[in-house]
Amino acid sequence: MKNRMKDLRSARGWTQDQLGRAIGVSRQAVNALETEKHDPSLDLAYRISAVFEEPVEAIFTNPHT
Amino acid sequence: MTSLANADPAHRRYVIRTMAFMAGYVAVNTAAILGAFDEMIGQRAGVFLGLAIAAPIAGQMWATLSLMNESDEFLRAITAKRFIVASGLSMALFSGWGFMESYGDAPHAPGWIIYPLFWGLFGLVTPFIRTSR
Repeated sequence: MKNRMKDLRSARGWTQDQLGRAIGVSRQAVNALETEKHDPSLDLAYRISAVFEEPVEAIFTNPHT
Repeated sequence: MTSLANADPAHRRYVIRTMAFMAGYVAVNTAAILGAFDEMIGQRAGVFLGLAIAAPIAGQMWATLSLMNESDEFLRAITAKRFIVASGLSMALFSGWGFMESYGDAPHAPGWIIYPLFWGLFGLVTPFIRTSR
């Protein structure tokens, strides 16, 4: 799923490991999300949204619209 | 490569459990190869020897399921995918070989081969399965 996670993370100067700790997943999971190798569950998408303080729709592109 | 000291707690537990179960598996196999159980051949005690080798294998499956349970959703999904592909390939190869034995005069493959075959295939498919989709 296309997303802005890498841009948002880089803008904050965070590493993948730091973001992973903030949202409760591994560095590998963050890398997989950023490279579109994993579509997050709704729960994880909301956790990412909360950490970046952006709505889910502003981070992930809706593939059905 | 991540060392055991740097690994997250779930992976550290998995490695320790794996080493413990595999130590038992290797010990029984090594003893069998060296002939320690030759006197049991054809005896009822051989059944218990079979259980002794089955126990660490079941333990290893539990360790893998525990790792999946303690991992995040990406690692859980990717481990399940690799596990299913390796299991499927193992069953396909072993079932195919069984028919080749019965009908094609292929040499006999003992049943215990399925376990090392599974982990060998798991290692083989792992670099190719990198997405959870």
